[in-house]
Formats: sequence, C-alpha cells, structure tokens
Amino acid sequence: MRLAGRRIRSLVLLLAVSAACKEKTEAAAPAGTTARIGAALSLTGPAAPYGATQRAGIQTAVEDINAGNALPLKLEVLIEDDGSTKEQGITVFQKFINRDKVSAIIGPTLSTTATAADPIAQQEKVPVLAVSNTSPTGITDIGNYIWRDSLTEKQVIPGAFKKAKEKMGFKTAGVLYGNDDVFTKAGYDVMKKTLDDLGVKVVDTQTFAKPDRDFAAQLTALTGQKPEVLVVSALADNAAAIVTQARQQGWTGPILGGNGFNSPAFIKNAGTASEGVMVGTSWNSASPAPANQRFLAAMKAKGANPDQFSAQAYTGVYILAEAIKLAGDKTGREDILAGLGKVKDLDTPLGKFSFTPSRDASHEPAVQQVKEGKFQVVE
Amino acid sequence: MRDLLLAYQSLIAFVGINGLLALSVYATLSCGQLSLANAGFMAVGAYAAALLTVKAQAPFIVVLAASALAPAIIAVPLGLPVLRLRGVFLAIATIGFGEVVRLFFVNWDYTNGALGLVAIPQRTALWTIFLALALALFVLARIRGSRFGYALEAIREDETAARTMGIDTTGHKLAMFVLGAALAGLAGGLEAHFTFMVAPGGYGFGRVVEMLVQAVVGGTAAFFGPVLGAAFLTALPEVLREVGARLGFAPGPFRLFLNGAILLLVVLFLPNGLVSLAGLRRRKK
Amino acid sequence: MGQQALNGVFVGSIYALFAVGYTLVFGVLDILNLAHAAVFMLAAFSALALVADAHLPLWMALPLAVLAAGLIGLLLERLAFRPLRGRADSNISGLISSLAMATVFEAIALQLFGPDVSRFPLGTFPDRLIRVGTASASLLQLCIIGISVLLMALLTFLLARTRLGRRLRAVAESPRAARILGVNVDRTIAAAFFLSSALGGAAGVLFGLAFNSISPDVGRSVELKGLAVIILGGMGSIPGAVVAGFALGLIEVFTVARFGSSLRDAVSFAVLFVVLLARPRGLFGQAAVREA
Repeated sequence: MRLAGRRIRSLVLLLAVSAACKEKTEAAAPAGTTARIGAALSLTGPAAPYGATQRAGIQTAVEDINAGNALPLKLEVLIEDDGSTKEQGITVFQKFINRDKVSAIIGPTLSTTATAADPIAQQEKVPVLAVSNTSPTGITDIGNYIWRDSLTEKQVIPGAFKKAKEKMGFKTAGVLYGNDDVFTKAGYDVMKKTLDDLGVKVVDTQTFAKPDRDFAAQLTALTGQKPEVLVVSALADNAAAIVTQARQQGWTGPILGGNGFNSPAFIKNAGTASEGVMVGTSWNSASPAPANQRFLAAMKAKGANPDQFSAQAYTGVYILAEAIKLAGDKTGREDILAGLGKVKDLDTPLGKFSFTPSRDASHEPAVQQVKEGKFQVVE
Repeated sequence: MRDLLLAYQSLIAFVGINGLLALSVYATLSCGQLSLANAGFMAVGAYAAALLTVKAQAPFIVVLAASALAPAIIAVPLGLPVLRLRGVFLAIATIGFGEVVRLFFVNWDYTNGALGLVAIPQRTALWTIFLALALALFVLARIRGSRFGYALEAIREDETAARTMGIDTTGHKLAMFVLGAALAGLAGGLEAHFTFMVAPGGYGFGRVVEMLVQAVVGGTAAFFGPVLGAAFLTALPEVLREVGARLGFAPGPFRLFLNGAILLLVVLFLPNGLVSLAGLRRRKK
Repeated sequence: MGQQALNGVFVGSIYALFAVGYTLVFGVLDILNLAHAAVFMLAAFSALALVADAHLPLWMALPLAVLAAGLIGLLLERLAFRPLRGRADSNISGLISSLAMATVFEAIALQLFGPDVSRFPLGTFPDRLIRVGTASASLLQLCIIGISVLLMALLTFLLARTRLGRRLRAVAESPRAARILGVNVDRTIAAAFFLSSALGGAAGVLFGLAFNSISPDVGRSVELKGLAVIILGGMGSIPGAVVAGFALGLIEVFTVARFGSSLRDAVSFAVLFVVLLARPRGLFGQAAVREA
C-alpha cells in the first residue's frame, strides 16, 4: 500500500510539473484585452459527430468576432475533448476553472455529461453556456450560473406537431424512438404528450438503441398497425437509416421528426427517402436573416457542415461576446454572468434570441419540410 | 499550487474509484476466474445508493452500506450457476449479465431510463474514497496471507487438483465473486455521490473492460497491483492531453490511438503488469 | 409475418457471417478476438473509400476490401497474438491485446474518416424491390443473403476438403500434436486469422451496403450479438455459427413483432444465459465448457 501511495503521489507531481512547464511557455495575456473561454466538446466517443461540428461552429464564430471590431477585445477559446464521458467532462471543467482560469465555459456536448460537470461550475461560480443540452430537467435548474441556448424539445415539438396536424389531418400515429439516449428519450416524452394533447391515437410504439443500424423489424411492426403517420425521435444518423428503410419497405405515408433530424447530413444520407419529411427544429436553416446567411457563408468557406449543432455553438460564442459587451467590455466571471442576464433580442442564426427567466433559450422555433432535397419552412 | 491541486482533485478521486473497481475484478482473478460482471454490479450499487439518497434522504453511511450489499445479494444466486463455467464462457456469461443490467436501467421508467437520476448531492469526499480503498486493500492483503488465500491460489493454479485436495472450490470462488460485487457496488455508490448523477450509459461493456485492463496492466501478482494499473491508466489520458497540447496536436483521436498503443505495449512487454517493474529494478541492483 | 421472417433471415445472414469468423479463431486458438468488430468496420470503410474515392465499381471494391480485411487479420495475429502464445495467461492477455488493437483501429478510422456516418454514393447498387410471397425485399438484400450463404459454404468446403482445412482442424484439436505431425502451426494460425478476418470483413462490407450507415463505431451493434451467436451455435463450430446466426436474427425480429423492441437486445443475452446454464456447449459445440 505504501508503494501505491508513492506512485500516486509521484503521478500527481508529474502532472504538476508538466502543468507548470506549460504555464511558463504561454505568454500571459495582459488583463482586459482577452476573454478566455473554455469549450468542453465530445471529440471522441459516441458523441464525436456532434462535438466535431460544434468545434467548427465555435472556431468560425471566434474568427469572425476577432476579425471584426464589434468587441474591443479578443476572444480566446480553449477547446478540450470530454470523450463523451462524465469523468473526462468533470476533469476538463476543473482544468478550465482552476488552471486555465477561464471566464466562462461552453458545453459540454451531452446532457449526461452536463449533469455531472455543470454542478462544479455552479459551485465555483463560473458561467456555463450549454449549446446542445436538451434534457428538460437537470441542466439550468442546477443553478444560476448555468444557461443554455439550445431549445428543448418541449419548446419545439408541440408547435411543430400542431402545424403538421393542421396540414395533414391525421388521427393515428406509430411512434419510433431511441430509448438509450437522453436527447431522443426526452424528445419522445414530449412527443407522446403532444400527440395525446392533440387527440391523436398512438397505435404502436417501438424503440431502438443508438448503435442500431437495422430497423426493419420495428418498422414492419409499426406499419403493420396501419397508422396514418410515422413519428420518429432520433438523431440524424439513425434518422437517415430509419427513413430510408421505411421507404424501402413500401411505407408511403408522412413522417414526422424532431430536432435530431435537423442536419444536412440527414438529407444527404437519406437521399430521396427524405423527401416530404416534416421536422420541428430549433434552427431554421433556410432563414434569410442576415445573421443566418453570414453563418452559412462562413461555414461554407471553411468547408464545414452547417447544421443545428454548429449553429447553436456559433450562436453561443456570439451570446457570450454580447454578454461581455453588455457588461461594459469586462471579462470577469461575474461580469459575464451579469451580461448574460441582460441579453435580449440578439440577432443570431437561430433568430432573435433572449433567455427565459429560468435561463433557458427563447427564440422562434421552426417547422420545416424537406422539399427537393432541401429544408424549407412550412408556413 | 493550491489551484493545481484543485484542478486535478477530480482526477485523484477517479483514480481512487477506479482503484476500487480494479480491485473488484482482481478479487475473482485471484482465484483464476475471469468475471466481467462488475459493471453491472457497479450499476446496481450506484442506483441503489442514488435512490436511497434522492427518494429517502438516507444517511450516507446507510447509503454506502446498501451500495455494497445490494450487488452482493444478487451475486449469490447469479454466481452459483455461472461460476461452474470455465474460462472464456464465464467471461461471456458475465458480459451478458452486465448488458442485461444496463438494459434494465435503460428501460426502467422509475429511474428515468436513459436520463438517469440527476442532482444527487455530493456527499463523497476524497478521504471517503481513499478510506474505502484502504479498507479494500487491507481486506485483500489479509486474505492473501491466510489459508483462504492459499486455497485461492491453489484454485487458480489448477482447480481440479484443488478440489481433489478437499478445497471447497465453489465456496471459495463464490466468496470472491460476492466480494468483487460488493467492492464494485461500493465504488458505484461513491462515484454516484461524487459526480452528481447516475445514468445507464456509464455502466456498459466498455466500463468493465476498463476495469479488467486496469487490473491486468497493474499486475495481479501483488494485491495492490490493480490500484497501480488504475492510477496509471486513469491518469494516462490526462497526461496525454497535456503532451498532445504541448506537441501541438488537436484534441481528438490521437489520444485514443496512444491509449490503445500504450496498452498493447504494456501487455506485450510487461506480462506481469506494472508491478513487475519494481521487481526488475530490484534485480538490476 | 412473412415480412418479419424475411427481415430475420436478412439480418441473420450478416450475424452468421460475422460469427463464423469469430468462432473460427476461437476453435483454432481458444482465444476470443475482440478486434473482430474493428476489422468488420475497417472493411466497410475500405469498400466505401474504394467506391467513393477511387471510383471503383462495386464488384471490384468488394473483394478488394475483403482481401484488405484478411491482411489486417494477418497483422493482428503477428502483432497482438503471436507474441503471447507461450504465456500461461494467454486467454486474458490475448483478450486485452486484441482490445488494444481494436482501440487503435478505431482511432485510425476516426482520424481518417471522421466521426460522422458515411454512406455509399447513391446509385452504387441498383434500387429494385422484389416480391417474395407476401413480403418485399430489395435486390440488394437478396444478393447479400446469397453472398453470405455462398461464403459460409465455401468455408465449410475449405475446412472439410482441402489440405489447409485439415491443418486447421488438426491445430484446433491439439497444436502440440499437430506440430509433431509436421504441421507448420504458426502458418496455419496465421491462415486462420486471415480467413476469419476476411469473413468478418465481408460481413462488414455487406452490412455497410445493407444499412448504408458506416461509422467508426459501427461494429458496436454486432460485437456483443456475435458473442450470443457463437455461444448458441457452440464455440468453434462453423455450422453452429451459421445456424445460430440465422436463429438469432429470427428470434430478435419476432421478439420485436410480439413484445416490442425494448426487449430485443435483452433477448440475445437471455438466450446467451439460458444456453450457458442449460447446455453450455451450444447447439453443435464440442469444447469442454464446464469445470465440474
């Protein structure tokens, strides 16, 4: 046991030494000219696709802001990989807070990681801006330092489904959802309640797991019950496969999806099968608003994929910049916290953005339908 | 300096928790059984503890006791049939058990399925973890030197011979299986109250593989070997994070690659784990 | 019901092909190769790269990808398994080194192809639906079933009728005896890995074509199912893996039809348990499974 203790202590020493060395080689930024922000993203592990696109969105936003002169100071964003796990998420948060001394943190990618890491930021009084956490509970209710710009399904689905029902007039539905992922499970909970409220009868419900690629059995079972519409709560990769396989099986009825469908990758991977799919989204990709067009152009110039995740991440950086401005160009943690509280009707790719009193996102969601290989808004 | 310690205190906590988990796998390895059920046991302990705290506000000591007892109780009826299987079949059966437990929690609405239980108050402190670890090491050290321990080694060497010599192989194996379950459950309970939440995703196949790897890389010749392995492999991704940043690598797959490569090198060139490094140094003198 | 049966046969054919490679290595070496699913994944990506980037036609890309998988298997054997052969704990250390290789493979795939899901370019395979009784299947699905069955038949023939097959069976029986009889054990084991990985790779390519979702973690959905299949079929038994693969595919599909999909994965493991507790050697296996 003595040997183990010594080993552990020497490991800590090794970390300390390497950390100290690192601090010396970095030029310390003079106070007041740089705002240092940490971004905890899932760059490996199951959430890697989302972390990768978030990174592109964040880097694009930072480059744009630093190149312009809206802010008299520069943004410095440190990006770290949380490995899609809560352990690394916690470690990264602590590193950001105590070693890098960031003024605010963006992320983490997954809601489950957030429920483990955000409490630490709350304890240490560091503002966190979630850009992809959609779990209805357990995020912003952690405390007043936790904010988010990602609409939850509860804010998106009811409006979308109501409009869909008005247009298509269905009375029965078959539901398919991913039950092992917070995003899709939370989405399903909202969908079930919404269908109930709209008086739609759910004839059958099937589930799948995120790693699944074969949905034939579930789809055959669902379509066998002859619903008028298929309702799906899935992330983009699964969504593309589900829609393709449904069409392959001969299902010609309408398909309704949630936030997870909102990605050009969905259309690309599903091909013609995506035609006509209607989704409730928190990012209107076709919005002509200048903020959105700027975002699309910048992402395209970088060769990156503009999807909902990158749009929300990009917006997150702009929100923090706005908070700094509203705080009088001050970059301290309390300043940013105060600034966040003042953000109102900010022009972002997501639309006019404000926070709700409980620090959740507030902006107009959109209902879109895939027409001719592109998402178009449904009026 | 204080900031440095604060920055890495969670890492130190995870080293301790993973140490407990590696010891739980070692418990069955020490009598030659490759049991991969401990992620499932960890989940049972973690959820039991979380439920007691969140729904019943039970005192922490009761919560921890439950986190060790609940999986231990399950381990008995599970172990009796499953421990009769040899080698890789036992491994596969226990992998199956772990998956069934995970799927159970994914589908159980009372605990919110995949969302899990959140906002668990942080009742675990660093000293709690290391006290538990010290206790586990103490128990295993005592077993090692005792007649019970010699029987375990005999079973590990040659189970049939041990049985003919009159050793109750089933009883010994079951005892270690239950001990392993209790340790894993305790680690689960401690972790749940450190990371504020429990969710099924954290207790899958990948988790138990991590535990096994840490135990084997540390070395099973000495009773503290697994703890060494846990410390090394828990700190490694973070060390690689620093190294990667200094070398200018973008965060991402490179760390994963190095993790795998280092693991391969250790398995190939240090067959008895990191513990054997100490022996090498002594011999060189 | 007919449609579900077809679904089951289809997914079962891929499970079977995957499991056959798995069980081959276990039969010959008594080792579980946990990098099998990673080879499955790399083969799918290789085929994708050959079709999408090198613009090769599918009928050329497929065998090339399978060949690549076989070569990766040779590499795997040389790097992760051969050095451990003499060791007492070779089961456990073999498990861990194959795991390490799986991690390395996944990191390489992540670096080369990114984490997103990719698909074969549209039009890679003609899109045609065919009616089979009351069910409908795509031409692709029928071809995949056909190719899987063909490959498994070829393997069975190879094992039963060729010299290599005899050598493989000899080494599976007893490596020491085989060596005494003049069999080059090292080369035979390498051949076993080549075949196993080639078949696993074929399963990966077909899977990638079938579901058009190729990503670095695509092996995850089959790797644990593969375990259930080889246990059900009997460790080391090729016909067992084939029968069990189809059986599990059908069982899964009918579980979904009857009880809903949340139970589907649990069913594979329930089958695993029942088999291990009631008849551990599976349907066709002969390996000694119990201590008692």
